[in-house]
Amino acid sequence: MRRGLYFLLALLLILVVLLLGLQVGSFDSDIATILNAFLHYDPDNTTHFAIMHLRLPRLLLALVVGAALAFCGYLMQAMVNNGLADPYLLGTASGASLGAVIVFFGFVEISLGGFYMPPVFALAGAFVVTLVVVMLGYRKRQLIPAQLLLAGIAISALVTSIVGLLTFLSDSEGKLKSVIFWSMGSFERASWALLPYPAVALLLALLLFVYYQKQLNILLLGEERAQALGVRVANTRWVILGTVSVVTGFAVATSGPIGFVGLIIPHVTRGVMGTTGRSNLLFCAFVGGLFMLLCDLLSRLIYPPAGLPIGIITSFFGVPFFVYLLFRKNYNFKD
Amino acid sequence: MLWLLSLTLISTLWACTQEKQETEDVILLQDDLGRELTLESQPKRVLSLSSSMTEMLFAVLDTSAIIGRTQNDDYPTAALAKPVVNNYPVDYEQVLALKPDLIFTIEGITPLDVAARLEELGIPVYYQKYNTVEDIFTGLEDIGRIMGKEQQATQIADSLRQEVAQIARRHKGEQDPQQVLAITWTDPIYVYGQNTILTDKLRILGTENAVKEVFEQPYPALTREYILKLNPDVLLGGTPEKLEESFFGQYPELRKIKAYQNKRLYAPTDDLMARPGPRVVESLRELEGFLYP
Repeated sequence: MRRGLYFLLALLLILVVLLLGLQVGSFDSDIATILNAFLHYDPDNTTHFAIMHLRLPRLLLALVVGAALAFCGYLMQAMVNNGLADPYLLGTASGASLGAVIVFFGFVEISLGGFYMPPVFALAGAFVVTLVVVMLGYRKRQLIPAQLLLAGIAISALVTSIVGLLTFLSDSEGKLKSVIFWSMGSFERASWALLPYPAVALLLALLLFVYYQKQLNILLLGEERAQALGVRVANTRWVILGTVSVVTGFAVATSGPIGFVGLIIPHVTRGVMGTTGRSNLLFCAFVGGLFMLLCDLLSRLIYPPAGLPIGIITSFFGVPFFVYLLFRKNYNFKD
Repeated sequence: MLWLLSLTLISTLWACTQEKQETEDVILLQDDLGRELTLESQPKRVLSLSSSMTEMLFAVLDTSAIIGRTQNDDYPTAALAKPVVNNYPVDYEQVLALKPDLIFTIEGITPLDVAARLEELGIPVYYQKYNTVEDIFTGLEDIGRIMGKEQQATQIADSLRQEVAQIARRHKGEQDPQQVLAITWTDPIYVYGQNTILTDKLRILGTENAVKEVFEQPYPALTREYILKLNPDVLLGGTPEKLEESFFGQYPELRKIKAYQNKRLYAPTDDLMARPGPRVVESLRELEGFLYP
């Protein structure tokens, strides 16, 4: 009952922030204009156009990416049984950055066959690096969580330094700006054409884990007990790994590597809903989306028009909250 | 602008010491950033740390007084014969090896901490800063005064002024001035803001910078929505083909702006846009060709 209320509250807040977010932009627009744009869309009205084709996809992308990162963070923390894990442990963020940097620095045409290449290469980079990390974290047909973590850290560091090297050797200030902007995350590129990729990936993953939620909770008891309770631990880990790499990959490719959401929101979720709540994953996605929407709104209010890089806001508001959670006595990752 | 105070300091040190009376010729300068410089004598060997400044120096000074160039400098051709000094990061050893008496640079290219380091090494750094086209010309005159080439500098500055005045006369009192947006980068979208010299160039040409709001940065990042709202008549930043690929392809929403609808998309020469220097008249003529086809 109490959990149901929290869900309702999160949903309500999401709607409120969406409505607020729709009003912020260069064109003046109040609630009436927004309702008008939805109910009587006039393609010749530029304000309507901005609301429906620039603001709405941007907000929805923030919602989806926030949800995706929080969801993947929850999965990773459950899989390695460690509250310090985040979705980027598999090297996704550094891989995506490398992919994007390769395009920005002109090793590849910026657009091929009408497709803008940075997100495409970011996705490819994320997958390739994840694959390498997984290969290193794998022994005797088993994923070894500790080994996976170390491999992720090592490979990420390597890839990050390659990105650093390319950045240092860059010959143009413009390219540097692209890379910096990319590495701190942004929803400014959002469009209806881009949105379906992360959205569909997230929806399918959420559906998949309606089925796997129980195994996930049992996994928290530790490998041996999970095995004894009939969970095929190895199998579950592969499912988690596959899901996290695809969903995070799409999120990062569309919006850049946005930090802290995937680390913090799972803790918030467990704090509110308990460690083994049945609908924790869904709730985590909701809260992640809400948090990201709020951060995006703040970024645009603080620094109009372009907004501060979203990664700066997420850390700024996320980290103090995280510290608060750490010092709160009655919260523990495995209680 | 320039406070060239050639002070003949008769340092009469009465205080406790019994030093001999000394006569020293010291030149005190204040640059465009208000920084104070002390030169022991009139500089003979100078170095520029920015491409536009190199063009300024070559316009006023004898080639032999300029002792190097940065890796990016390619104009005038005579510059190519000079030894290269990396300006990012600054190659301090090469600077020391060339032994300049004074370094000229412009705000925004050489960080202040680099200037401080150079001054520690005994090489004063003189900054120039231009908000308007006229500032470039006074900059030329300042260089002339510091380097003892006043006559030559005034001559060049005045002839450039006349050419600018002539261009300005052609476009005086344009009705309903065209709104021009100039982009410097496409992802994210960076543009020439109100507080750049481009605004003055556009004013001379009887047009306006579409960006009216004054941002902290000279080249602010803008959103697609902001640009939709500006709805510029002219877009500077690339050939129609290039913009189609890297700009409108990526941001199809911006195809609504007047500049795209009326195919007013132009590619000004990068160096003429980015380097405030004696070629500013050439830049004005190029822009004039785009704005009044």
